[in-house]
Amino acid sequence: MQAGLSTKNAPSPSVVLPHYAYGAVAFIVAAILLFFTADDIALSYMTPKVLSIIHVLILGWITMIIFGALYQLIPVVMELKLFSEKLAMASFITLGLGTPMMAVSFWYDFISSTYLMMTGGGLVILSVIMFAINTIASAMKSEIKTIENRFIITSIFWLILTVLLGLSIVLFPQILAYGSFQIHIHLGIIGWFMMLVVGVASTLMPMFFIAHQLNKKCLQRAYILINGGLVILVATMFFDLSSYVKIGAGFFILVGFIMFIKYNFGAYKKRLRKKLDIGMKLSVLAFILLIITLISGFLSVFGGMIDSSLLTKLNLVYGTSLIYGFLTALILGQMYKTLPFIVWLKIYQDKVGKFKTPLPADMHSQEAADAHYFFFIGGFALLIFGIVLSEAILIQASAGFMLLTALLYGYNTFIILNHKEKLKPLTLPKLRPRVAAKKK
Amino acid sequence: MAKIDNLNETEQDILEIIKTVPDPEVSVNIVDLGLIYEVEHFEEDNKINIKMTLSARGCPVGDTILQHVQTVVSNMYPGYYVDVELVWEPTWTPELITEDGRAELDGGF
Repeated sequence: MQAGLSTKNAPSPSVVLPHYAYGAVAFIVAAILLFFTADDIALSYMTPKVLSIIHVLILGWITMIIFGALYQLIPVVMELKLFSEKLAMASFITLGLGTPMMAVSFWYDFISSTYLMMTGGGLVILSVIMFAINTIASAMKSEIKTIENRFIITSIFWLILTVLLGLSIVLFPQILAYGSFQIHIHLGIIGWFMMLVVGVASTLMPMFFIAHQLNKKCLQRAYILINGGLVILVATMFFDLSSYVKIGAGFFILVGFIMFIKYNFGAYKKRLRKKLDIGMKLSVLAFILLIITLISGFLSVFGGMIDSSLLTKLNLVYGTSLIYGFLTALILGQMYKTLPFIVWLKIYQDKVGKFKTPLPADMHSQEAADAHYFFFIGGFALLIFGIVLSEAILIQASAGFMLLTALLYGYNTFIILNHKEKLKPLTLPKLRPRVAAKKK
Repeated sequence: MAKIDNLNETEQDILEIIKTVPDPEVSVNIVDLGLIYEVEHFEEDNKINIKMTLSARGCPVGDTILQHVQTVVSNMYPGYYVDVELVWEPTWTPELITEDGRAELDGGF
């Protein structure tokens, strides 16, 4: 095989595609749960229903799609085959079973060691361990040592710490202090999701923008600042250090993410395709929403200096703008940049050159995608206003918009996954008469 | 060495055939994207050599594009051995895109 190619390294579509299908269903379920959680979200994030919906979104929607996408992307960014497809399938099944168990347990029993919580949590941890083994074993064989890959590997380290601490909170709630819960959240959000997203987005965005000659120093600085800031932040929470140290850590992390945005903004400015398709429009929107996350996240490190009801709102805006804003918009957009290609390759890989085939961009409904782009913006804006004004009715209205978004997105996911072969005769240019090949 | 700005008639025909191959991501043909570096036609040996690159290493549809080139050229030149070689030097840059390619990229969506 020629170096630098990834198609032949790609895993079987039957490993990757179920992740996208599951994620689309979880996104619909989350929108329905949001409607019934409106009263709680208007007040706090530490309620049974809010924790339930957060875990549906984080595990069933975001982590599920990230796992699937990474199984597809590891061959792209690391230029090798995935360590084990069986392990990937096993991690899908365990995450898929564990997530609803945890969500139901949170909804009815809050943070308690119920049978469902222990089984669900155990399955999720098992899934994460299998994912971590698969990705780390793949990375160790890779000769491609880029800064983007370093972000991905580091995120897996933080993920393992996140789930181990999460399980410890449920198992030993009487021993672990409130700070452990805060550490769990920050390890998960900054260490796992954001670290991974920085690595993957910084690989894919320039590729899809067709932008070259970018300054990678921004990414190297981002790596040091975000990881350094996170270590200090966690130490601050664990040892209950001064708030000034916490503010310093928050500042490091903030500047790190500004470096990440700067790198991708550079790719956006240098892009060859001036007009953005729906996938890139949603991805650019995600970066705009990230600014809300960064501002609210940084302000929340001032903690004790802020009025408690305002701090609760800040934390809610921070978490919501990250999970239902940045990460959701990025996943919505990147679905259109990855899923059609996986299905297209599966169906048309052996047909190219023999027939005229549709393009990956032709495999979804453009009307549905355009509509859910606006429903999503409307739903997100209503959600943030609902939180800021503590108005449950706005959050319920947001749930309606988010449900429409999820249904249209689910429809497009479904039609891409069920795409049937459409071939037309090939039309080739008329060439001047020539001599046939000589028989040897 | 038949660089694409110095092709004979047959090699120009081959380039026209390669123009039917789009990059599935941007739906612009790979010749106008500047991905084809060399086309060589050896009548005596019944051989065609094509040297090309990709816009990014690890391009998810990379070897499908190579296979597409191989198939269309082989179909038009039965009996010929068609060798499509992927090279990373010189590195592809946006400056290699033709005027037609730029127009298609800007108005493609």
